[in-house]
Amino acid sequence: MTARTAVEFKHVAKSFADRKVLIDVSFTVAAGEALCIMGRSGIGKSVTLKLMIGLLKPDSGQVYIESEDIVPVPEKELSRVRRNIGFLFQSAALFDSFSVGDNLAMPLRRFDKSKSPSEVEQAVNEMLKAVGLEKDKDKMPAELSGGMRKRAGLARALVLNPKLLLVDEPSSGLDRITAGEIEDLLLRVKTERHTTLVIVTHDVTCVRKVADKVAVIDKGNIAALGTLDQLQSSENQVVRELTSESSQ
Amino acid sequence: MKILTGFFSLIGNLSSFGLRALAAVFAPPYEWQYFVIQIEAIGWQSLPLITAAGLALGVVMTLHTRSGLVTFGAEAWAPALQSQSFFNELGPLVTGLLVAGRAGAGIGAELANMRVTEQIDALEVLSFDSFKFLCVTRIVACIFVLPLLTVFMDFAGLMGGFLSEFMISHMSLQLYAASAFRNMGWANFIPPTLKTSMFGFIIGTVSCYYGYTINEGSDGVRRAATNSVVLSSLLIILSDVILVKLIFFFFPGDAL
Repeated sequence: MTARTAVEFKHVAKSFADRKVLIDVSFTVAAGEALCIMGRSGIGKSVTLKLMIGLLKPDSGQVYIESEDIVPVPEKELSRVRRNIGFLFQSAALFDSFSVGDNLAMPLRRFDKSKSPSEVEQAVNEMLKAVGLEKDKDKMPAELSGGMRKRAGLARALVLNPKLLLVDEPSSGLDRITAGEIEDLLLRVKTERHTTLVIVTHDVTCVRKVADKVAVIDKGNIAALGTLDQLQSSENQVVRELTSESSQ
Repeated sequence: MKILTGFFSLIGNLSSFGLRALAAVFAPPYEWQYFVIQIEAIGWQSLPLITAAGLALGVVMTLHTRSGLVTFGAEAWAPALQSQSFFNELGPLVTGLLVAGRAGAGIGAELANMRVTEQIDALEVLSFDSFKFLCVTRIVACIFVLPLLTVFMDFAGLMGGFLSEFMISHMSLQLYAASAFRNMGWANFIPPTLKTSMFGFIIGTVSCYYGYTINEGSDGVRRAATNSVVLSSLLIILSDVILVKLIFFFFPGDAL
């Protein structure tokens, strides 16, 4: 039996002005699998994530989420697709003017109108407890450290129990210990919730810990796709250097 | 030629941005909760500035005009002159300019910062219509609070005028109020006050436009804040010329 496909890119191309970022990108991610996307800075990794959630539209090609091509889906109908996708931004992107608790409650109030205020509060409390921020519910994002912001962002991305979680640079700006805690949380999301993960990262330690598969983007194409061990012995020098654990 | 093209392009973009916002007001979902937050941020938080400025301006206005009126033995007209000046022009215009400076810069910087830190993308990911959630609520809040703030500015200015007059001639509050409102009609109060809704629309639209559309890092945040204040202030003054003409056309008594 083959695993259900959660994400599929088919010949996706994307340019900004006259700069071709993605030329012909194709790959699939099976449901429940964790794919890490690696590549040099500015190569189009975050663009790939944003294409998956419809924040950007490709110039050509198809982006399938749960077997539905989301490229022709109008903006107003994308909320149906996004309902099942969580996104942890590089900067966490918490809403500055709301408390941590309200940041988590916002998607619940928007998507799950059947929930009473006490049920929303309970769901928020549970999710904050899961990421170790139960005492920080009333704090404003500016009062949180980088690691706490990431954990709060992760809690917000998971509060609707999405089938697919997109993560942009989970360990950027964090020390190794704090980055390790975020990676542990991601691993738990994968093993306990069976959430499909697509993670953009430079961090090979994160890849080693969480990824089932690694895709390396180079020169607008997928330069290599496989397990970390396979890519570490690739003939492509860029792939070998990006996946080398000794360079960390 | 390039500058002229850029100017008309900007006006076109601003107009279409503002009209899009007005059209979105009537389409669900209605973001009441966030609208109330904006009323608080733009209106309530501007109130101390507006009343303090009104009071100070009222004192200064009376000090200036009274000395001129004394020359003609017409100092008894000082309260009436004060009320006419504030209700017809000073109150609405100064309120517009002060809110453009305080709230306009804040809106521009806040939205530009939200763009830079991906908070606007995060809203879209959570299926919020970021334009409606962030821009429409702020524009409508500006339209709504400007007339209210103008009323506070008018009365603070009048109170400042009274304090100044009281220090000089010990005129009673009752006499001052009676003199101030003797020649005032609703036409002196309602049209000039309501015209500030247009100032609010200008402040909200310009500030949201710059904040929402600029995406150039910290320099973009600075430019959004500065441009919001400069262009809002300029457009408020220009639109005031047209609005005063319109008020005179529809309420000819005001022009006398």
